[in-house]
Amino acid sequence: MKRNVLIIGGGPAGIEASRKIRDFGHTPILIEKESHLGGHLAKWHKLFPDGESTEELLNSLTSDMDGIKWFTDTDIVSINKLKHLYVAICSNGISIQADALLFTTGFSLFPAEKKEEYGYGIYNHVITNADLEDFFNTGEDPRIKDPKVIGFVHCVGSRDEKAGNRQCSKVCCATAIKQACEMKELYPDATVYCFYMDLRMFGRKYEDLYLNAQRKYGILFVRGRVSEVSENIEGRLVVKAEDTLIGKPIRVTMDLLVLMAGMSPNDENREIASMTGVHLGEDGFFMPRDMLFRTTESHSKGIFFAGAATGPKTIPETLNEARAAAMAIDHYFKQEV
Amino acid sequence: MRERFISGFDYFVLPFMIGMIFVILWCIIGLIKIIVQLERADRIKLYKSLVNPVIIAKNFRDLFYDSLLHVKLWKRNKVLGYMHSSIAFGWFMLIVIGHIETFLYIPERGGLFYYPIFFRYFMAVESTTLKGSLLFFLMDFFLLVVLSGIILAIIKRFRSKLMGMRRTTKLTLLDRVGLYSLWAIFPLRLIAEGFTAGVGGGSFLTVPVNWLFASILSKPENFTIAWWAYSIALGTFMMVLPFTRYMHIPAEILLIPLKNAGLRVRRPRKGYALAELYTCPSCGVCLDACPMSVDKAGLKNTTVYYIRQLKRRNQPRALAIADKCLMCGKCSVLCPINISAIDLRLALRKQQPYNIKQDFSYLDKLPNGALTSAISVGGEKVLYYAGCMSSLTPTISQSVQKVLTNADIDFTLMDSQGTVCCGRPLLLSGRTEEAKKLIEKNTRIIKESGVPILLVSCAICYRIFKEDYNLEGVQVMHYTEYFEQLAAEGVIKLRKRELRYVYHDPCELGRGCGIYDAPRNALSRVAELVPATKERKESICCGGSLGSLTLTHEERGRITENSIRNLTANSPDRIVTACPLCMKTFSKQSDIKVVDFAQVIAESLIEEEE
Amino acid sequence: MIDFGYNLTPSSTLDIDDANMHLFDELCAMEPDALKCISCGSCAASCTAGVFTDVNLRKVLLSLQRGCEKDLLPQLKSCMLCGKCHIVCPRGINTRHLILSICKIYKI
Repeated sequence: MKRNVLIIGGGPAGIEASRKIRDFGHTPILIEKESHLGGHLAKWHKLFPDGESTEELLNSLTSDMDGIKWFTDTDIVSINKLKHLYVAICSNGISIQADALLFTTGFSLFPAEKKEEYGYGIYNHVITNADLEDFFNTGEDPRIKDPKVIGFVHCVGSRDEKAGNRQCSKVCCATAIKQACEMKELYPDATVYCFYMDLRMFGRKYEDLYLNAQRKYGILFVRGRVSEVSENIEGRLVVKAEDTLIGKPIRVTMDLLVLMAGMSPNDENREIASMTGVHLGEDGFFMPRDMLFRTTESHSKGIFFAGAATGPKTIPETLNEARAAAMAIDHYFKQEV
Repeated sequence: MRERFISGFDYFVLPFMIGMIFVILWCIIGLIKIIVQLERADRIKLYKSLVNPVIIAKNFRDLFYDSLLHVKLWKRNKVLGYMHSSIAFGWFMLIVIGHIETFLYIPERGGLFYYPIFFRYFMAVESTTLKGSLLFFLMDFFLLVVLSGIILAIIKRFRSKLMGMRRTTKLTLLDRVGLYSLWAIFPLRLIAEGFTAGVGGGSFLTVPVNWLFASILSKPENFTIAWWAYSIALGTFMMVLPFTRYMHIPAEILLIPLKNAGLRVRRPRKGYALAELYTCPSCGVCLDACPMSVDKAGLKNTTVYYIRQLKRRNQPRALAIADKCLMCGKCSVLCPINISAIDLRLALRKQQPYNIKQDFSYLDKLPNGALTSAISVGGEKVLYYAGCMSSLTPTISQSVQKVLTNADIDFTLMDSQGTVCCGRPLLLSGRTEEAKKLIEKNTRIIKESGVPILLVSCAICYRIFKEDYNLEGVQVMHYTEYFEQLAAEGVIKLRKRELRYVYHDPCELGRGCGIYDAPRNALSRVAELVPATKERKESICCGGSLGSLTLTHEERGRITENSIRNLTANSPDRIVTACPLCMKTFSKQSDIKVVDFAQVIAESLIEEEE
Repeated sequence: MIDFGYNLTPSSTLDIDDANMHLFDELCAMEPDALKCISCGSCAASCTAGVFTDVNLRKVLLSLQRGCEKDLLPQLKSCMLCGKCHIVCPRGINTRHLILSICKIYKI
């Protein structure tokens, strides 16, 4: 018997899970609140560690969507449980009966203006990692004007109790270094600094990326968290941090500062949790059954997770988890019979 | 009317007399102790105040309004006001009329403490006169008033919510003894006087009671037991009084002249502070007032328990409470006796042996003009002190500068190259002497600049500049006052927008300096201002206060959450505040956008067309 | 072991084996936050007094963790207790009280 699976969130996890669920012989229905599929990935330009094009990855993900019903610009209004079925009412008026739910709701990008001391939205030359990717895509950003000195601030809204996010966002270190190298290619004469607390280059080839940034691009690494940014009379940015390895406060004048906004739990997680009874962790991300073995299952029967909905993840981790969730759902259906 | 006994005495008065003499001795010793403990200057101040007719008048007024009528409590809560004033004023009148009776009918017994109290026992009515009936009527009337208060008190003890109090204090054992004996006094008096009403006379209350007893009891003349019970209740109440919260009754009589003489807390348990400690009635208003009481565990850090620990000399607990407090001052404002909750805690903090020997000699080497930079456009001259926090909230200093520029005001940035802290954080940590060094340095910088107006955008700094700096010839202004003045004078023109703002009163600015209207008036010019559930002097601390030394990040978070809930009750579009620390604290937790006052004004400026 | 009469440890090395951690343990009992520092340097970079002197809370705390308290502790004397470090600390350490406790225990 064919079963319906409602997948909420059309980012890489949602797309990949839909495809695999279809391959298992079930009917995936994919809901995306924005007007296009791809989530945050669609806004990116290139990916670490090798600089693979996002567009190509998305193309191959969405090349084969036959048999998947998907709706964009659609929000979930309510979810109710009826015996073994979930009934979801969507903002476009349709209601969906599903035998299983898969939350691929991903993350929200940390709003960098919350770290007011970094001056995002206040000073003219402070941008975020997402803004920079947009610049790589479009080639346009009035805030980037032939910068001579560029700084990258790691951990903006990550590992920061004061920002309400204790967790490490996992991908920003590698992203910062990737972006630093890209900027250096665009502006070979620029001096590029990375301000980090700890460099977490944990994946295969990430260390190569770091090595390349040092050797090939001459990126300068400062171990110290930026404490405050001000603007001088010429409109340049004055960045203050402590160089913790030298053990002295430093002050650098810059033309562009890129804030590596981290991954916050999706703003809607709380609402989803109250609608469906799935557990939220203290950090605001969804809590799977356990953190080792059943990472795609929730505490509620018939509800599953994949991707950054349960914490920051890289693209390959997200895609693998999407496939794992599809398998877990198929397994769940087989047990149900 | 005649005396029933030639001796004018009965053994049942003994419990009352022992209690009465004990209380009087205790209070006299306490009074001497407090006066001896006062510092010399304070003592002289007190003596001078006692011959100053203005202060004498004020003392009597305060005694009447606060101790007897509880006017402040009435304003806040009518039921509680009635409860307290009925007991206090009713009891007072019973004593006064009892004395009047004694002096009218048996003036030779006037010197006996107990006589007016047990007047009905010792007297027998021979004929009814109008004067006598009136006095008897008044006695019964005030007894009824007190009894109504006692009934309310009993209801309050078991159902405090009916009286608008969410929480009440936990009573000590002796407090309970005091409480129950207080409850017993007046019903027992009614019974005792009811028994004697047939002989000693009575009025609308006691006479029917007498009939009732006569109809159900075989020997209603056997009434001495009731008078014994009444006397024992009075005696017990007075014997425990010095060790219970009811000590506030005599202590307040002392505190009022001390306060009116202008004395302040200097040491945590001595002199003026001691008078305050005894005047605390443990009413528990501070429990609901304290922002820390969002956590049940925080309740033990409220002022009423702090005072209890001080009285018990439990130094470690008292210290822990003193260090925890946010110093927001809300309990003081709501307290029926306006206890100096902050000063009492600061006094203990000052005694802390932190061993920190701060050395600010590096400031002496710093030229006074080293940190300032002037931006000159020609106009009124203003020295702008942004404060330490401003570099973490650049919007504030940028917005202030934008408004000043728009108003064509010549301004000098006092701390553009670095800040010498205003000293308020040191002061709040009890480091008064160290704070003086910073005050001196800043005073020199300000004086040297020669600018007539010091503009401050931080509520914390503003308070110390106002209270502890001696800046003769320099007008200290908070930016809310200054911008409101500029707008009122038409120097800046503002446009009104279709937005709903709620204004948060920063503790240091509102309760600290009394500035409530200037920011509200200015904000009303640019948007619709919606009220918070609690505001002005009842505003809830944001939780970020520098006042607390030991609150954890998590505890602060819950206070902030509660404060935001209070602000957003009428679903505003923005929370506006006028302190960088409040803004920083709110914005990390609020779903609604938090903006600073200066930012709102700067965004609403109408640029003059050249 | 034979004592050859000379020490292989050059004087510039911190000999952590012999460090007396007694006072630091006392500090941690009073301020569990003392162990939470990740040495990001935010406190030192934003320090109000740091503009004028070499005070560096991060370094002081680290030196205490290593049991070498003498050298850097006097730095704390220039602290104005303004609380900026408390605001910026990403770990939510109550730095103001930490400073007071350090002074209390180490008696600077």
